[in-house]
Amino acid sequence: MNDKHQDLVETMFPSDGSGIKPYEWMISPTRQRQWIDDKGIFLWLAFFFSEIGAGLYFMSLFYSFRPGIVLGWLITLVLGGLIHMLYLGNPKRAWRMIMKPNTSELSRGIWIIGVFAVLGFLQIITPGGFNMVFNFIMGILCLLIISHGFATMNVVRALPAWNSTIVLPLSIISGIWVGHQLLQLMFAISGNAAAASGMEVWAATFFLAYFLCMLLYAWGTWHSSGAAKASIQRMLEGDLKQITYIGVGVLAILVPLVFTLIMWGGDTNGFLIFLRLASVCAGDLAIRYLIMKSAVYNPLI
Amino acid sequence: MPRWGMVIDVKRCIACWGCTIACKEEHFLPPGVFFNRVLIGESGKFPTSSKLIYPVLCNHCSDAACVEACPTGATYVREDGIVAIDDEKCVGCRACMVSCPYQQRTYYDENVKTREYFPGQGKTEMEIIGEKLYPFKLGTVIKCNFCSERLEDGMKKGLTPGKDEDASPACVNICPVGARIFGDLDDPNSEINRLIMEKKGKQLRKEFGTEPAVYYID
Repeated sequence: MNDKHQDLVETMFPSDGSGIKPYEWMISPTRQRQWIDDKGIFLWLAFFFSEIGAGLYFMSLFYSFRPGIVLGWLITLVLGGLIHMLYLGNPKRAWRMIMKPNTSELSRGIWIIGVFAVLGFLQIITPGGFNMVFNFIMGILCLLIISHGFATMNVVRALPAWNSTIVLPLSIISGIWVGHQLLQLMFAISGNAAAASGMEVWAATFFLAYFLCMLLYAWGTWHSSGAAKASIQRMLEGDLKQITYIGVGVLAILVPLVFTLIMWGGDTNGFLIFLRLASVCAGDLAIRYLIMKSAVYNPLI
Repeated sequence: MPRWGMVIDVKRCIACWGCTIACKEEHFLPPGVFFNRVLIGESGKFPTSSKLIYPVLCNHCSDAACVEACPTGATYVREDGIVAIDDEKCVGCRACMVSCPYQQRTYYDENVKTREYFPGQGKTEMEIIGEKLYPFKLGTVIKCNFCSERLEDGMKKGLTPGKDEDASPACVNICPVGARIFGDLDDPNSEINRLIMEKKGKQLRKEFGTEPAVYYID
C-alpha cells in the first residue's frame, strides 16, 4: 500500500477514533459527521456567532443601549451570516434557501434572519427606535435567532441526542447568558459602572438556569434511548471527555461560578467581567461542539 | 402513474456484494462512495445467535425526512415515488444527509471527486468516461436514484421495470439469487405487492414514519 493509498484509507476511515470501521457502519451507533467535521466546523461557529449576536441585541433592548444592538446586529449578520456561507457547498445559490419555509427549519431561519436584518437596521437608524412595539418584535426575532441553530438540529428525528425537548431551552438560555455577559462588558468598558453592577443581579440567575438546563439535557438524553445514551457516554467516557471536563466542567461552570461569587452583590470589575465572558464563550463553544460531535444514529439492524 | 418500490429477501441474500459493485459500475461512483451497501450484523447470543444480512440503499420514502429538511426544494419526490435531487438547486447545506435515518446520501466535494481507484497513478479511462457520463456537480449531494435513467429508457422502448433487465435497476439485475424484486407498489397485482402481503414485508426503522418504499422479507 503506497502513501497515497494510505491517505485515501485514512480520509475515509480515520484511525484517530473519529471514524468507524467500514464493517461497523450503521451496525453500531454511527455518529453524524456532516455538521461538525471538515467544513462542518463552520456551521458550529456560525450557530455560535448568530446566537451571541442575537443574545447581545436581546439584552440591549432592555437597556435601550444603541451600541449594543449595533454590535449584536453586526455579529449576527456579518460573522454568523458570513460563516454560514463558508459552510455551504454552493453559496451563490444561497438565495434558494428561502423556498421551503413550510417544511425546512433552515429555510425558516433564513426568513427570520432576513426580517431581523431589515427591522434591526430600521431600529438602529430610527431616533425613537426603542419603542415598545419595535422592542417586542425584535425581542421575539432575537429569541428565534438564538434558538435557530439548535432548532435546526432539534428537528432531526434520526439523531436522538438532538431530538430532545431541553435542547431549545438550553440554546435560548445560553444565548441570553452570553449576550448578558457581552453587554455587561460593554457597560464596564464605556465607564457605565452602575449599569454593569446592576446587571450582576441577573448574572447569578442566568448562570443557574444555564447550569440546570445542561444538567437536564444530560439527564434527559441519558434516559431517552440507547443511541442518545451512547452520545452522553461519548461525552463523559469516550474520546470527547477532555472537552467535556475542561470545556464544560471548568470553563462553562466552575470559572463563571467563581467569578459570579466574587462579584456577588454587584461588586463588579471590568477585568473580572472580561475573564468571565471569555470563559463563558469558550464553555458555550465547548457545549455546542460536544452536542454536535457526539450525536449518533441508531443502527439499522 | 406507478410508484416504484423494492422487496429484498434477506433469506436469499448471500452477501456477495454484487449489488454494491453493479451500482458503482452503473453510476461510475468514486472510491468510498456507495449507493448500495450490505450490512452484516448479529443478533442474540450463543448458542441462539443468528447472522443478519441486510442490503441497504436509499429507501425512496414517500414521506422522506430529506425532502422535508431540504431548504431549496432540490430534493423532491417524483410522481413515480423516486426521491430525486435537482443538482441545479442544491446549495450543499447537507441538511438532507443529517436528517436521513438510513444515511444513504453522500456529499460530492473536491475530496471525493479527486479520489483515484489507483492512487497516485491518475484516473483510469473508465473513471474519465464515468465523469463524462455522470457529471456529478461539486458541492452537491448525491444518492441512489433507483437507476431512473434505465427505467425511463426502458419504458420508452415498451419494456417493464422489474421484469425486463434493460428497464430495471442494476442492483436487481446483478443479484445472482434473485433476492431483489423491483416493481410497482401501487399495482395490487404486482409481484412485490404479493410478496409484501404474503411474507409480511417489513420496512427498516419504520418508527421514523418516513414510509420507505424498500421492504424486507425473510
